[in-house]
Amino acid sequence: MDFRLTEEQVARRKEIYKVCEELEKKKPKSYVGFESQFDNQDGWDFHRYCAKEFAKRGWLALGWPEEYGGTGTMMDKVLLAEARGYYDLPGSDIFGVSMLAPTLLAAGSEDIKREFLPKIASAEIMFCELWSEPNAGSDLAGMTSSAVRKGDEFIVNGQKTWNTGAHFADWGFGVYKSDPAARKHHNLTFILNDMKDKGVTVRGIPYMNGSHVYNEVYLDDVHMSAKYIVGQENEGWAVVNVLAGFERSNMDMVYGLVKAQEELVNFCNETKRNGKPLSQDPLIRNRIAEFACSIEAVRTLAYRVADQQNRNEMGLMDAASVKVFASELLEKFGQIATDLLGPHGQVKHSKWAKLNGSAEYNYQACFVPIVSMGTNEIQRNIIAWYGLGLPRMK
Amino acid sequence: MDLRYSEQQEILKKSAKDFLTKECPKAKVRELEQDAKGYDPALWQKMGELGWLGFNIPEDYEGMGYSFEDLTMHIEEVGKNILPGPYISTVVNTFAIVEAGTDEQKKDLLPKISNGNCILTLAWLEENGLFDASGITLKAAQKGNDYVLNGAKLFVDGGHVAHNMIVVARTKDGAGEDGITLFLVDAKAAGIKAEVIPTIAQDHLCEVVFKDVAVSAKNVLGKVDKGWAILQMLIRKGSILKSAESFGGLQAVFEMTVAYAKERIQYDRPIGAFQALQHKMSDMWIALGTSKFLLYEAAWKESEGEPSAKEASMTKAYINEAYKLITALGVKLHGGIGTSSDHDVPLYYRRAKAADTAYGSTDYHRELVARHIGMK
Repeated sequence: MDFRLTEEQVARRKEIYKVCEELEKKKPKSYVGFESQFDNQDGWDFHRYCAKEFAKRGWLALGWPEEYGGTGTMMDKVLLAEARGYYDLPGSDIFGVSMLAPTLLAAGSEDIKREFLPKIASAEIMFCELWSEPNAGSDLAGMTSSAVRKGDEFIVNGQKTWNTGAHFADWGFGVYKSDPAARKHHNLTFILNDMKDKGVTVRGIPYMNGSHVYNEVYLDDVHMSAKYIVGQENEGWAVVNVLAGFERSNMDMVYGLVKAQEELVNFCNETKRNGKPLSQDPLIRNRIAEFACSIEAVRTLAYRVADQQNRNEMGLMDAASVKVFASELLEKFGQIATDLLGPHGQVKHSKWAKLNGSAEYNYQACFVPIVSMGTNEIQRNIIAWYGLGLPRMK
Repeated sequence: MDLRYSEQQEILKKSAKDFLTKECPKAKVRELEQDAKGYDPALWQKMGELGWLGFNIPEDYEGMGYSFEDLTMHIEEVGKNILPGPYISTVVNTFAIVEAGTDEQKKDLLPKISNGNCILTLAWLEENGLFDASGITLKAAQKGNDYVLNGAKLFVDGGHVAHNMIVVARTKDGAGEDGITLFLVDAKAAGIKAEVIPTIAQDHLCEVVFKDVAVSAKNVLGKVDKGWAILQMLIRKGSILKSAESFGGLQAVFEMTVAYAKERIQYDRPIGAFQALQHKMSDMWIALGTSKFLLYEAAWKESEGEPSAKEASMTKAYINEAYKLITALGVKLHGGIGTSSDHDVPLYYRRAKAADTAYGSTDYHRELVARHIGMK
């Protein structure tokens, strides 16, 4: 095996870290954690600002074919995720850049690629995802919202939910039941729509910490153009599966953990209790070392996923492992950090907060990666069924 | 970056697997647990012929001169099968001679080890059970051209069958790292008495008592009083290789468990159809994946001669726990049959505890990790 980055990659990494380090200085004070980009206008403006900065360097089109404006390699994309995670920066639209763009490249028509890829690469438009419904969460195929074909259009009706960032997004990508008579998995169509379309209503669902991340989206007689179908009509399920295959190495989450560990170590070194630094307490040393071992373990596995992606291999099972393990480590970080801070563990970002309030933040925000993108229980199903070949639940 | 086994490594893996499947079936593993020697001399000879004992010995001394990473991968395969006897100890301890021995010591011992004619063990731990330097109390007093050893060592792997042992002794008063010296000792010398300790893996760890054992000054390994650095090197490499063995073992149990879950029928379906069991097996898979590249990152750094102490300790601390987790789940998922001494899973479950303490426990290595990550 060879864990070494090439000289070119090392130089690239340095360049990316430098840009991200500069961007971090412009981060609004209230920006703590990944979900902050959706919570308020300052967060969203910062997201767009970072996206523009990345776009002008070609960093939102890393690893794409050159004919669609691609630059760099898949590994560069991993390095950018690493640096963004470390500096807790937004700027890469998880829906547009990470999910839709590779899906369009794999399954989109030439027209749709030509229309949307440049807008994603330039950060001109941001996407949201319109998948889950009140009665179709993990079991997505059970959705009821309908798209009825009428000439060159679909008339779409229904309700979507858990739509991250839909209150700011310019466009959405959704799946709708387009042929009620057809058998399961051949009755859905994947369509893009402008979130300003008539009949689209977005309502916030406050997260447990009060922040605005998720939404409900109501669709009332929304006219969506048939030219914005991705893949084939009634074959949206196949597109959903292609998209799910582009779940990433989660390197940003992993490097968020790397940074969290550094901050925790510094805090313990600098904080005295009973005249002794916390860092000299053997139980605390043991607990943080255990956390550090787990972070290094998942960091190396995330690199394995990146290495596979770089070779155009999918590595779905390893990617599922990273998703589960890293998000549950984030949960653990929330617990360790709030414990170590003592009474300050409960303090939100404010003048009384330690670690900028990241302990209290992650104690709650950790459930976003745990339940989204296929809950961790769904990931465990995926590993069991497709990885281990165990019988599928009927 | 390329995180795949090379083609040559795949071939090495396969040959190790084929050899052990034939030569060391589980019946033999059980038999050797009860055997007085605890290893099979004929098998040891064959391993010597195949070069298994000389993987890390330079070709100049009749070894194979393989890389540390290749060795790690080989040991992974050995761990999958289980190979009773002081094999990994001998291989790890050989590094002390390769890296710190005089030319005379090398010429004397390395070809013998490589050819399967010398079991080399390490007499390190003592009654106090400490892994750090303060645990070393066995005295070596200078007397003319000799040193005279007095004291007792515990958990000496195959101490009763070893030909030579590296004894970690105190040559200066105090409890620090300075003043520790390593001696190459003939295991059959007068005044040495070894007795097998009953242990969880029945792996023939011994108490070795030294009573006025005279060792010539030319058998000092490295420099007098400066042996701790060599021992640290052995702990580092041993941690990686012991973790490789554990990683092999946890894969074996994982595979056995998934296979059993597919064939065992209850409630008219394979038990592997139940999600309660599926998710435990998925967790086993996740523990396996996270172990693998942590291990190989450490092995790769060690191979490249880069600083690897942090990664070695992280690997040992992490895989210690992963091995115990996976083997315990393996027992539970097999149900009643998994608790039987006739079943293979408990062979690994017991070894997971034994592996955990070899070359430093989880807590010992976490303390080293705490230092490496900058906790003051």
